[in-house]
Amino acid sequence: MIFRSAPVFFVCLWAVLLGVAPAHAVHEVKLKPGAKGTECLKCHETFRKTLQNRSVHPLLKSGQCTACHDPHTSSHKNLLISDINTLCSGCHREMVPDKARSSHKVVVDGNCITCHNSHGSDNPFILSKTGNALCVECHQDIGTLASQAEFKHEPVQKDKGCLSCHNPHASARADYLLKNKVPALCKACHKTDRPFFVGRHMNYKVTDSSCDSCHNPHGSNKNGILFDAVHAPVAEKKCKQCHPDPGASNALETKKKGVRLCRDCHQEMVAETFNKNRVHAPLTDNVGCLNCHHPHGTREKKLLNDTQFNVCGTCHADTVELQKWSIKNPKNENLCEPVKTGNCVSCHSPHAADNILLAQAENISTGMCGKCHEWETHATHPIGEKAIDQRNRNLTVECLSCHTGCGTGNNPWMMPFASTYDLCTQCHEERKR
Amino acid sequence: MKNESDEKPMMASNKTCRILIAGFILALSATPSWGAEELKFQYITSIYSDAQEVKLKQPQGVACRKNNLLIVADTGNARLVRYTFKDSPAESTAREISVPQLKYPQQIAMNSKSEIFVLDGRQRRIIRITADGKFNGYIDPQNTPAPSAYAPISFHIDKDDNLYILDIFSEQVIGLGPRGETRKRIKFPKKYGFFLDLTVDNRGRVLLLDCVDARVYSATANSARFSAITEGLKAYMRFPAGLTTDRQGRIYLVDRNGSKIIILARDGTLLGRLSARGWKEGLLSYPSQMCINDRGEIFVADTNNNRVQVFVEIE
Repeated sequence: MIFRSAPVFFVCLWAVLLGVAPAHAVHEVKLKPGAKGTECLKCHETFRKTLQNRSVHPLLKSGQCTACHDPHTSSHKNLLISDINTLCSGCHREMVPDKARSSHKVVVDGNCITCHNSHGSDNPFILSKTGNALCVECHQDIGTLASQAEFKHEPVQKDKGCLSCHNPHASARADYLLKNKVPALCKACHKTDRPFFVGRHMNYKVTDSSCDSCHNPHGSNKNGILFDAVHAPVAEKKCKQCHPDPGASNALETKKKGVRLCRDCHQEMVAETFNKNRVHAPLTDNVGCLNCHHPHGTREKKLLNDTQFNVCGTCHADTVELQKWSIKNPKNENLCEPVKTGNCVSCHSPHAADNILLAQAENISTGMCGKCHEWETHATHPIGEKAIDQRNRNLTVECLSCHTGCGTGNNPWMMPFASTYDLCTQCHEERKR
Repeated sequence: MKNESDEKPMMASNKTCRILIAGFILALSATPSWGAEELKFQYITSIYSDAQEVKLKQPQGVACRKNNLLIVADTGNARLVRYTFKDSPAESTAREISVPQLKYPQQIAMNSKSEIFVLDGRQRRIIRITADGKFNGYIDPQNTPAPSAYAPISFHIDKDDNLYILDIFSEQVIGLGPRGETRKRIKFPKKYGFFLDLTVDNRGRVLLLDCVDARVYSATANSARFSAITEGLKAYMRFPAGLTTDRQGRIYLVDRNGSKIIILARDGTLLGRLSARGWKEGLLSYPSQMCINDRGEIFVADTNNNRVQVFVEIE
């Protein structure tokens, strides 16, 4: 006999049942006959109106309120049977494919009610709004661009709007929730073998190129929906400035590699750059300027591949992380503005400089910090040539003797130490308690 | 990230006291998972100036080998400084080496004849200087299309005086013989972040440092391809910019932004770290190049602290 007593047996049985019982079984409610759905409406009368909506959640329609709500008690808001962020995915598991290339954050986070009404609405799929109006509630910048652009992309303006190209939940095929990869997505509408298309692209075989390396799919103020920030030779259709003739086998490659390609037009800037003591290393490799800039067009100013902060962060992830960490630090309410906004080029020269760390000025205190903090350059702790750093006889006291330029994580006042005491007693050891 | 005040080792206020306190050791983490070998280093001294008391200014390069010689690339002063020493480098022996071709010395190395090779940042070329401090031409690899199609970002001279150049334009390491003839070319691996430094260990293995991924690649002496010997080490360092090895084949990574040295075993296993960020002696601020001489003394170009620091491993 495995179980020597009845109590032991029942305890084990209870434990087994508890372990295997489906979660929703806890929420099964034994309603009296005919009560299903109608009993709740006695009090929650507003749902009678909801039931008249064009689109009603099937569970509400069939009166299965208890599929989502517990009629007696719950640890969750609105007597929901589970956390609202996991409730929907209990049934709607297929919204994000297993091997999704991209997924909508609100879907992954389970914030379905950002877009859907939970019970019913007059819009399809119980959406809270229809068409682009729903998407631009969050994606305001794209909404503004699409509505105000002089040259509009037709699918964005049509009924399906954003959903002409994007899946709302996730995409198994492409980034950015796109229904298909570019250019396959674009080629569904744009026939690339037609003479008009070929002529518009100066006879270059761009049929397999990324359309969004020149065109803004949401619309722009440039003819041909080229990006507003478009490289002049692209806008002027002077492809041959950088590429071989369209008939060449290597037509889509560049005539030269690295900075040598850009130097042909940007001579002055390149000459000035390469005449500095320190050239930003990526500029010297065979990708050169294109490590940070796009050759055709982008959403960003100065043809940057991404926001300036993200471009820098491609290689300097450590500094970017430090900046992000510093922003979150509640003690850092006086975070330096360029650090707060991630404006790296406020202090560093992105191409080249005569100074270490590509600093814009040799004297960081007066030449860089002093640009904004002019007052502190003459009304602060003694700094400058006469103020020798007590910790190191080869250093003078400067702003960076007490502060760190790119943020300091959890420390206040951009200090490299946890407290002012720790900082000051570095030099003023006699003040140590 | 640890707070800097937590990281800094205890520092004595005067030099004599420092030397006497045997236990005054720059701590290497002894976390068990980092490897069985426990390393301990001691801070020895700092070099601040030359014999004329001209202060070092943002030195970025150090070269040492045998013969009690140390050459410092005093970058901010556009010169080299040559130190000789017995127990430690003597500032009173320092002699300035200044040639007009030297604009912005960033990285240096010496061959067995004590000739000096300098990578000049402004010219992006390697300058050759005789042992007695005279300009002796540029090192330009043969069969390279044009100066603009060749971008040396680092170099190393091995024990047999072969010179290895890290050329980020042609994406390869170019190996030159002692007379400048091209002997080997090793292409970069297909995927990498950005290579910033290279070195060759005592077995002829070429090591590459990927500063973006904090990863070390190696190619054995007879191999023509690189393979990673470490995973990305970003969890342990911020932005490694320098690479060297010691007699045991241990690999030293200079974490410039993290202001410390990370030490790996020959196979890439983490062994520990040396120093931390700070201004006092023994601490580093944006270090650049480091070198280890035949006596095992470690010299670090402590760039933002305007000095060179010397450490030694304690048995």
